[in-house]
Amino acid sequence: MSPVANSLILELKGLCAGYGEIQVLWGIDLDVRHGEITALIGSNGAGKTTLMRALSGLIPTTAGNYFSEGRDLTGDTAAGILAHGIVHVPEGRRLFGAMSVEENLLMGAYLRDAGRAEINRDLEQVYATFPKLRERRRQAAATLSGGEQQMCAIGRGLMSAPLLLMIDELSLGLSPLLVEQLVAALRELNAGGTSILLVEQDVTIALDLCHRAFVMDMGRIVRSGSGSELLADPIVRDAYLGVLHE
Amino acid sequence: MHAAQILVNAVVLGCLYACIAIGFSLVWGVLNVINLIHGSFIVLGAYLAFGLYNALHISPWYSIAVAAPLFFVLGYLLQRLLLNRVITAPVLVTLTMTFGLDLILNNAMIYFFKADYRKLTLTPSLGSVSIFDVVVPVDRLIATVSALALTGLLYLLLRRSRVGRAIVAVRLDRDAAVLMGVDVKSIYAIAFGLGAALAGCAGVLMALIFPISPLTSSGYLGKAFVVCVLGGLGSVSGALAGGLLLALVEGIGSTFFGPAHATTLSFILLIVFLILRPQGLLGRKGFE
Repeated sequence: MSPVANSLILELKGLCAGYGEIQVLWGIDLDVRHGEITALIGSNGAGKTTLMRALSGLIPTTAGNYFSEGRDLTGDTAAGILAHGIVHVPEGRRLFGAMSVEENLLMGAYLRDAGRAEINRDLEQVYATFPKLRERRRQAAATLSGGEQQMCAIGRGLMSAPLLLMIDELSLGLSPLLVEQLVAALRELNAGGTSILLVEQDVTIALDLCHRAFVMDMGRIVRSGSGSELLADPIVRDAYLGVLHE
Repeated sequence: MHAAQILVNAVVLGCLYACIAIGFSLVWGVLNVINLIHGSFIVLGAYLAFGLYNALHISPWYSIAVAAPLFFVLGYLLQRLLLNRVITAPVLVTLTMTFGLDLILNNAMIYFFKADYRKLTLTPSLGSVSIFDVVVPVDRLIATVSALALTGLLYLLLRRSRVGRAIVAVRLDRDAAVLMGVDVKSIYAIAFGLGAALAGCAGVLMALIFPISPLTSSGYLGKAFVVCVLGGLGSVSGALAGGLLLALVEGIGSTFFGPAHATTLSFILLIVFLILRPQGLLGRKGFE
């Protein structure tokens, strides 16, 4: 089954989801293209993380459709979605703290039916992208600094051989210098062909990094466009870039 | 009694206690289920060793190879068919479930095997080894080494194998494990199966040393509980530390206050730990 040519890596049509009786997402339409960095921005409680959780199968969708490369993933299990290549790096890293860095990375490859050699090659690639992780490979993940933990979480995602890497809150709790390093790493990964969907509270970082972006509010997509378009959009500037004085 | 003898006895017994406790601790840590059937699994393992030796003359250390897969399947099926249905319910519900299962298994054993105390006596006896004044019966020594080996095997499984990593991952962060594609219900069943297998094997080893009766199951369960609290829940090293401490306290207690007070002392220790150091000697962490 080869991927359908030019098809979208993610195509959502009217997707709804929530927690029990509480509906959070009210018909999300969104598309992500191959090879791009797509950003998802919006204020706290807009539903960004809920969308991530619905896309990775952690919570069920209640209406709408979810396609990837022409394949219907609506209602699929978390394992099925991961096996297809939609990989979720969750908010707050969610590393396995008592396990070593390398064990965490290997957990990323848990589902893959790959030989030891292939796994080792991918480990090497992660270590090449984040040399700090190689130094700390035997160390418990809980003892890493915040930035290193985010590197480890992204590395764990990469070990799943992602078609699309979804990163929730890249910069949360990290110093500007570390964020800069992570952004550079993401650019490098993207240049290497990894498609990325980035959820980010820091709108300036997100719009600067992405090819295209979607703005979420109250569980709906309210705006979309290229990063530079949205940076120039007066409504976006007003709502999300209030602190930016240029 | 000689201090060295007390110490050696404590080490011998402590390894066995650790072996009793690791399966219980694994299930508690990974599934958040307080598995009250654990004690009866141990007794059933002891009966298995007793039966295999008396009927077929299979030595207990070979019986381990029979008990491990048998109990694994038993535990796996129990979790898959019954416990997984209530696993998301509050801990009291799963506690009640295992309590009921324990009643069934324990009474079935009383019905089929009677409540009489039996003893597995190896003929010819293996004798004992003595270094200076310290004497250790050889069958106890074999049981201790086997218990240590089982504990080590579990450690290796959890640290080195793919399924072991998944078990630890589920224990540490269930949602994140789901994101890695781990099938949590299947991991639950495997962990429960491992817990049962360890209980069965521990029972086989116990048969070498202690009298066998369905009535002893609550004693084993109590020991498992105390060891988990003393050592810290969910780690192999914690179970070892807790087992050794418990055996040492019991040894010292029965030397100075008489054997009748050993259990009293161990439960006083339990209460002291619950008040002063509820996380146990080594704290609550991963299997490392």
